[in-house]
Amino acid sequence: MAAVQGGMVDAKDEADIKTEPASDGFGNNHANDSRLLSESPGSSAAAGNSKPAAGAPEDQQTLLAVLQFLRKNKLSESAEILRREAGLPEEVLDPKGADSAGSGLGGSADVDGGDASALLSRVTVPAPGGAKAPTKAGEDQPDVNVVLSAYSQQGDPALYQVYYNGLKKFIESVLDCHRAELSQVFYPLFVHMYLELVYNNHESEAKAFFERFSGDQECYYEDDLRILSGLTKKEHMRGNETLLDFRTSKFVLRISRDSYQLLKRHLQERQNNQIWNIIQEHLYIDIFDGMPRSKSQIDAMSGSLAGEAKREANKAKVYYGLLKEPEIELPLDDEDEEAENEEGKPKKKKPKKDSAGSKSKKQDPNAPSQTRIPLPELKDSDKLDKIMYMKESTKRIRLGPDNLPSICFYTFLNAYQGLTAVDVTDDSSLIAGGFADSTVRVWSVTPKKLRKVKTAADLNLIDKESDDVLERIMDDKTASESKCLYGHTGPVYGISFSPDRNYLLSSSEDGSVRLWSLLTFTCLVGYKGHNYPVWDTQFSPYGYYFVSGGHDRVARLWATDHHQPLRIFAGHLADVTCSRFHPNANYVATGSSDRAIRLWDVLTGNCVRILTGHKGPVHALAFSPNGKFLASGATDGRVLLWDIGHGLMVGELKGHTDTIYSLRFSRDGEILASGSMDNTVRLWDATKAFDDLETDDFTAATGHIHLQDNSQELLLGTYMTKSTPVIHLHFTRRNLLLAAGAYNP
Amino acid sequence: MLPAGKSGPNGPWFWCCLQVMIQILKDMGVTEYEPRVINQMLEFTYRYVTTIIEDAKIYATHAKKSSVDADDIKLAIQCRMDQSFTSPPPRDFLLEVARQKNQTPLPLIKPYTGPRLPPDRYCLTAPNYRLKSIQKKVSSSAGRITVPRLSVSAVSSRPATPTLAAFGFCPGHGSVTSAISLTPVLSVSSATASTPAVSNVLINPSLIGSKNILITTNMVSQNAGGDSLKRKHEEDDDYDAL
Repeated sequence: MAAVQGGMVDAKDEADIKTEPASDGFGNNHANDSRLLSESPGSSAAAGNSKPAAGAPEDQQTLLAVLQFLRKNKLSESAEILRREAGLPEEVLDPKGADSAGSGLGGSADVDGGDASALLSRVTVPAPGGAKAPTKAGEDQPDVNVVLSAYSQQGDPALYQVYYNGLKKFIESVLDCHRAELSQVFYPLFVHMYLELVYNNHESEAKAFFERFSGDQECYYEDDLRILSGLTKKEHMRGNETLLDFRTSKFVLRISRDSYQLLKRHLQERQNNQIWNIIQEHLYIDIFDGMPRSKSQIDAMSGSLAGEAKREANKAKVYYGLLKEPEIELPLDDEDEEAENEEGKPKKKKPKKDSAGSKSKKQDPNAPSQTRIPLPELKDSDKLDKIMYMKESTKRIRLGPDNLPSICFYTFLNAYQGLTAVDVTDDSSLIAGGFADSTVRVWSVTPKKLRKVKTAADLNLIDKESDDVLERIMDDKTASESKCLYGHTGPVYGISFSPDRNYLLSSSEDGSVRLWSLLTFTCLVGYKGHNYPVWDTQFSPYGYYFVSGGHDRVARLWATDHHQPLRIFAGHLADVTCSRFHPNANYVATGSSDRAIRLWDVLTGNCVRILTGHKGPVHALAFSPNGKFLASGATDGRVLLWDIGHGLMVGELKGHTDTIYSLRFSRDGEILASGSMDNTVRLWDATKAFDDLETDDFTAATGHIHLQDNSQELLLGTYMTKSTPVIHLHFTRRNLLLAAGAYNP
Repeated sequence: MLPAGKSGPNGPWFWCCLQVMIQILKDMGVTEYEPRVINQMLEFTYRYVTTIIEDAKIYATHAKKSSVDADDIKLAIQCRMDQSFTSPPPRDFLLEVARQKNQTPLPLIKPYTGPRLPPDRYCLTAPNYRLKSIQKKVSSSAGRITVPRLSVSAVSSRPATPTLAAFGFCPGHGSVTSAISLTPVLSVSSATASTPAVSNVLINPSLIGSKNILITTNMVSQNAGGDSLKRKHEEDDDYDAL
């Protein structure tokens, strides 16, 4: 490299070249190199053969570079001719450099003449495992770096460590207020540089690079780094879709303008163009005006595989309001004294007040219109259900910090770690469990047993006009406490009851989602779309639609009467582990292994919110009953609270020590219950958490969040189970909390 | 399992593999696992490696090479990857498919259609058995079993419950049996016109999709109208409220 340095500068310095190689002891190649360099000008000066008369060394070097290129591409005849005509000696220099040099050389002709020699030296310099890369070659050779970056995206693998180190030193030297922000660059830069080295088959350099700098990264990227450490060849990358996506998508960083200027100035003045190129190609820097963020603020929002969310990704309007409940004529009851026309949200306790609910007649500006997405109309049975619902809601217990719910725990015994999914109907009459042996079992929670509908022959014999025909169609001979549903060919990972209790959905590792009838307890339809395990499925709050999310990184929206999905929500970089409908059925939230949560619009299929901040795969999502907030739980043991309207994080609940698999808001949204693998159920004060939110314009515009560290105050209670991880939570209509899990001694 | 000779807990090779596997698990961050996991992983590894090498041998013989070399192995690995270890489609493909799919507006929902299920050929509600038709010389009053129309068994998963076929027993008085048109697969009598009143077979209650049950009798004698009897239950609103 020293030879290069000498050869690059001026023609008059070439006299020194001969002495230089002796001093740096880099090996024969350099000697060769310099000899070649010195010889050619020498020969050009000496013998005036058929060469360009100017004999400028730059042209010479260009010629040499061209010659190397031709030889490399095995155009031996052309090379011979050129060599003969240019009068060059017959030195064959092995291109020992990386493959990238080959491609780079092609473009070398366009580069400044002075660079050609640099290219040559690149070709000849052995690319050691980075350890030999002289640090002095880093910052004090601006020209080399210009060259290296100008012709190829890959640069010299040996120099990657140097660049990274240089950037690290720079960032350590900036002002404190900027340092936190600029440190965000480290992780994506590290991963991209490493992947580039691997992709271009520089295995040893990649390993050395990894060893040296992986320890500096943030602790929450540990899992990713472990996966990366196992990836050393290009072939390993082939099957890993997540990493390929990471390589092609842009990692989003949010940096304040001042910090960004600093960085830009440094990278451009120090000629560290390689890093600048990588940044430009792989990173998306979302610049905002204002104060730089502090470390804690940044830590709160970062962690996702794709960085944070761009501001405009969270700008679309989201209709988070609830749909208006339809008017239902309630029968006047002695015990209830309900108004005749009941319109308004079903959460109202005293129906009398609804007459004054005329303000609810006006359209909530944040609510979607009733016809935004087609919803099934109410059948008579649905109306009966609604009446039951309203009756029960009058008996609902008001919860609060001083009035905690009772918890009733349903333990699945003898499941041998095979319980993989649980669901409870809305009226808490049935509970279903999905198991790893591919069965689905339905139990009746109430004393009433499960019965099948009679066979066709028997049905013919009953009296159809009688009042209790609904009872008569059931076959009491088949009554049993539980029913088992067979059909899947793999573990059942997701279960969902339909709101009208007629259907049950189950999603499994075999890639299908099955619809079961709860009247005949048989399978009706198998929806095949995902060809990979489907991790979660859920019916919409109004029935008819359901959503499923799986290993193929998409979530699909289906309707029960279409054998193909209606919407495909693609955008996540890794598996979709959890998918939930918004209470107004217009939006679907999906949590993924890429540690981000996305909110999708059912009407258009677009992603309207990207919420980052979790440090592990997201496994639990819950919408608050008023539709404004979303709670999410992940493997990092934290519950994060999000304001959907603004797309901001508004709370963080720390307390659990293991993955959170279930979250549920109480019926009125006052309490948030979370169940986790650490065998506890925790209750949090949701009213207080959402109470004093200051979402002013500044916060909304810049996304600066100020999270209070008040998890302890919000925690209302921790309830331990006996080595039973909690995988499902359900508030009954009267606000009794049901929990379910399998005993795991 | 493991190769003979050196296998068994006393073989050094076995222990060596075991150590390697434990180390691999540790490197990948798997700290808690049952002891069975190691055995399963070893078995899998052995099977995978033998499959690859066998494939590579085949490729080498095909290329008329005397010995297996790295290219054969690479090819074998690649083929196996595409076959057994497929990975989900790439992101741009998914985005493109999603874009196309999301352009079509959501379909409107038809009112009052009973159980909202896809067309029958996509459902699993058809019987997956077929009854042999026994040709009887006696008239239809004897129990005649007809062949129910079988739907395409592309949906070949096993139905949840064993289906009860109500054989066409004629309770003596003619062939007006309880033929219930619940099922889209109505047992149309086979086109033997000679038997006007054919008892109909079936039907299993597993075909009931919802509470909308239409019980009709006297479907029997309609040979030709058999097809139109399908789906008739939708029009009956009596039990719609359920």
